[in-house]
Amino acid sequence: MERYTRTKVVVGPGMPGEFRRSLSGLAVGPRDAVHALGDDEVRVFEAGGRLARTWKAPEKATCLGVASDGRAAVGSPGRVDLYNDAGVRISGFAAGTRDKPAEVTAVRLVRDEVLVADAAARIIRRYGLRGNELGVIGAANKTGGFMLPNRSLDFDVDAFAVVYATDTGRHQVTSWTLDGTMVAAFGRFGMARPEDFVGCCNPVNVAVAPDGSIVTAEKVAARVKVFGKDRSLLAVIGPEHFDPMCLYIHVAVDSTGRIVTADPERRTIAVFGRS
Amino acid sequence: MSETPTRRQFIDRTIRVIGLTALGGTAALLARRTSAHAVFQVDPLKCTACDLCRTSCVLSLSAVKAVNDFSKCGYCRLCPAYMDVTSAPDEVGTPSGKVCPQDALKRRVVGREDPDDPNNNYYEYAVDEARCNGCGKCVKACKPPMGNGSLRLEIRYDRCVECNECGILIACPSTAIVRVLTPGLSPVSVQGEHSNA
Repeated sequence: MERYTRTKVVVGPGMPGEFRRSLSGLAVGPRDAVHALGDDEVRVFEAGGRLARTWKAPEKATCLGVASDGRAAVGSPGRVDLYNDAGVRISGFAAGTRDKPAEVTAVRLVRDEVLVADAAARIIRRYGLRGNELGVIGAANKTGGFMLPNRSLDFDVDAFAVVYATDTGRHQVTSWTLDGTMVAAFGRFGMARPEDFVGCCNPVNVAVAPDGSIVTAEKVAARVKVFGKDRSLLAVIGPEHFDPMCLYIHVAVDSTGRIVTADPERRTIAVFGRS
Repeated sequence: MSETPTRRQFIDRTIRVIGLTALGGTAALLARRTSAHAVFQVDPLKCTACDLCRTSCVLSLSAVKAVNDFSKCGYCRLCPAYMDVTSAPDEVGTPSGKVCPQDALKRRVVGREDPDDPNNNYYEYAVDEARCNGCGKCVKACKPPMGNGSLRLEIRYDRCVECNECGILIACPSTAIVRVLTPGLSPVSVQGEHSNA
């Protein structure tokens, strides 16, 4: 097993740029800058940890995605807003349907598309930058969508545009091509083996590393795991690093493979590196 | 031929009408308040599901029952309130033990059932009140972060004898038993709704 240790706390209570009320989204942008959503703002911390800039996010914003060129997408109930790398809003669109607005729990910018996790419809919706619908991901299975007892869907996208999503009710991470074809799945329920996912619904968050390994975050035993390319368990970042009441540990991976975590209960962002 | 009222008569009549209306309104309000009923109920935000509701009620089978708020329930296959997730798994990997010592929490598949892969099924959980003893084990197991917090304890008015010496109120260590005003004797919730009333 590999070992990860906490190398840095980017922000936490009492630190510059601290989040006082909420911390609900995390992404790593160009030059490994950490982007975080909370207190109705997006705050950008340089790789060294300095607070570089801040911009206003919509009220009740729930999630954040940042492209490799610095463009950002912020998800809110039934809506997605897009910003340039300076934090200037460039566009936005309604997500979901008129009858059933999307419950946006994750958002990513992939090429010229915006992928939106809609936990109400239990699918990932594909949109063009102007909000034109391009398709859905996750519906091509027996249940017509992900199984989400916890009513939250997270996903990440690798360099080949393969989408990795949390199928929490199935205790799996499933992977999909953009056209909605399922590629693979891994994970199972279990309370004993460290590679298994515990409780009613896990893993709750996911991120893809540049080398293709998968980082998952769980609740109940608030912990983060790293799975290699063959989906064998490589490392566990244990519950001692997170609040035990944490429902969602937001995870991201920087260009060097360091894992960035955001603990909303403690409103703390930390970086973990291989030791 | 009708007599046109004087200004004084008109003012007198107007005052009488206003006075009678006010009197009637007050009487109606008082009557409504009298018919309202103050009852004990469990505040789910304070309740710790400590098991004292089971042992402190004057009834042999407590008037406190677990109820499931379906709007919050995740309809999980692996419900931590239904099955003891630490118990030995069966042949398909499902924990074999149950949380409820009374076997009062029942489940059934909702929607189309996939007999081949239980991962594809949603399950509805309901409490068999004739069995439930109010121990709160399921409520405790459903609390976040493990569950969605859809299960909670409630005093059921069709069972409560309103002895006015509520032992649960006295015993509750978290002051979770509160007085709520309800019209008549219909069941009330302190928070939210549920559908196995």
